[in-house]
Amino acid sequence: MGVTCVSQMPVAEGKSVQQTVELLTRKLEMLGAEKQGTFCVDCETYHTAASTLGSQGQAGKLMYVMHNSEYPLSCFALFENGPWLIADTNFDVLMVKLKGFFQSAKASKIETRGTRYQYCDFLVKVGTVTMGPSARGISVEVEYGPCVVASDCWSLLLEFLQSFLGSHTPGAPAVFGNRHDAVYGPADTMIQYMELFNKIRKQQQVPVAGIR
Amino acid sequence: MADVLSVGVNLEAFAQAISAIQALRSSVSRVFDCLKDGMRNKETLEGREKAFIAHFQDNLHSVNRDLNELERLSNLVGKPSENHPLHNSGLLSLDPVQDKTPLYSQLLQAYKWSNKLQYHAGLASGLLNQQSLKRSANQMGVSAKRRPKAQPTTLVLPPQYVDDVISRIDRMFPEMSIHLSRPNGTSAMLLVTLGKVLKVIVVMRSLFIDRTIVRGYSENVYTEDGKLDIWSKSNYQVFQKVTDHATTALLHYQLPQMPDVVVRSFMTWLRSYIKLFQAPCQRCGKFLQDGLPPTWRDFRTLEAFHDTCRQ
Repeated sequence: MGVTCVSQMPVAEGKSVQQTVELLTRKLEMLGAEKQGTFCVDCETYHTAASTLGSQGQAGKLMYVMHNSEYPLSCFALFENGPWLIADTNFDVLMVKLKGFFQSAKASKIETRGTRYQYCDFLVKVGTVTMGPSARGISVEVEYGPCVVASDCWSLLLEFLQSFLGSHTPGAPAVFGNRHDAVYGPADTMIQYMELFNKIRKQQQVPVAGIR
Repeated sequence: MADVLSVGVNLEAFAQAISAIQALRSSVSRVFDCLKDGMRNKETLEGREKAFIAHFQDNLHSVNRDLNELERLSNLVGKPSENHPLHNSGLLSLDPVQDKTPLYSQLLQAYKWSNKLQYHAGLASGLLNQQSLKRSANQMGVSAKRRPKAQPTTLVLPPQYVDDVISRIDRMFPEMSIHLSRPNGTSAMLLVTLGKVLKVIVVMRSLFIDRTIVRGYSENVYTEDGKLDIWSKSNYQVFQKVTDHATTALLHYQLPQMPDVVVRSFMTWLRSYIKLFQAPCQRCGKFLQDGLPPTWRDFRTLEAFHDTCRQ
């Protein structure tokens, strides 16, 4: 497990999501990256049930239950800006039992699927973010395996990102700044995905509504 | 010169001695002639015997006289050859025709030259024995069986001393933690953890470093049965590269007389990898080259370079 940076790649002008992904993967292959199967990250939203809200007198908090194909036996549960936990995949069954407290938001499932590339010690995953049937955006995840401290290798990661994202290179993810010198963990990646999905959800709501 | 002169003084005695030897030889041959001829015809048997005995006695007396004379002369001649440093060959200096046969001067030069050669060879062999290039006594192979092998002192240091040296180094570098263990007898194995960057397994023989393996901070350094895994290499290319460079450093830092300095220099060099992911290449200024950060650290300046950027 190394330091990971998840970012969004804007769709190229006059191109579809699919075409932009192809453009990106071709660039990676030109760089010398090797294809290594596929990956999938999915996220489901739960909100606290109305029955429990009143008694505690607090606003409904959203909880996200996520899976990552990189950790096939784990399930991640995260509150926005809040605590998170990593559990076994059985956690999904538990959530069904907890229906009284957490209710699944309808049609909220968002996921990204795509190809996994290896280049030296870098792991690059370019995915198409879909919500329901429609493609909503492109996610780019870059992991640098050897390093475990985010602040140590950010400049190095940035140089690599620049080599194939060009002007769309992102800034440092917020999780990098949280704990200086701390060992980077899988949950940090999932927080980044959660933030990315939230961003894409908000982005897309406006234009989609406008078209309709 | 004194030798030559004394030999000159004795030359007369030599000449006399030689003539004395000739006299002795002739008198001895006369004795045998007399014996060979036997008794000459005389009138009576008695007369024959008498004449023969008198003749034989005369001859023996003369041999005796000549022998005494030679002994006297030989004392006079003395032993000039033993006084000369070149022994008998020193007599070559007596040769009057120097120009035609300059044997003596050539001989002297050769003698001086071989003396010097022997002296320098002795010095060189002393030095070479100190700076033995053999890191391990096992490599001596066949020759070790023939001659009694002198174990290099650095290979038989007491474990306590090794522990001391290592713990001193451990205290020297706060960002570096060294864990020493001896799973196989007296040879120490070190697990060096450098910040949150990498882990190094160092296999020692006394205070010599035999092998190093560099792995990532998050990688496993133990085998399933809990022993240090000194064989498998890192999964990451960058640490495989650093392992190669560390092996190069082992061969570079060599000082058989002061093994503790070698270990300290190696650890100082290794410590520069704390900035493995943070330091750009000093030549090209970039972080990545072929997907690898600058993995080389200069032995003297400890500056970071890409493998292909160093010269």
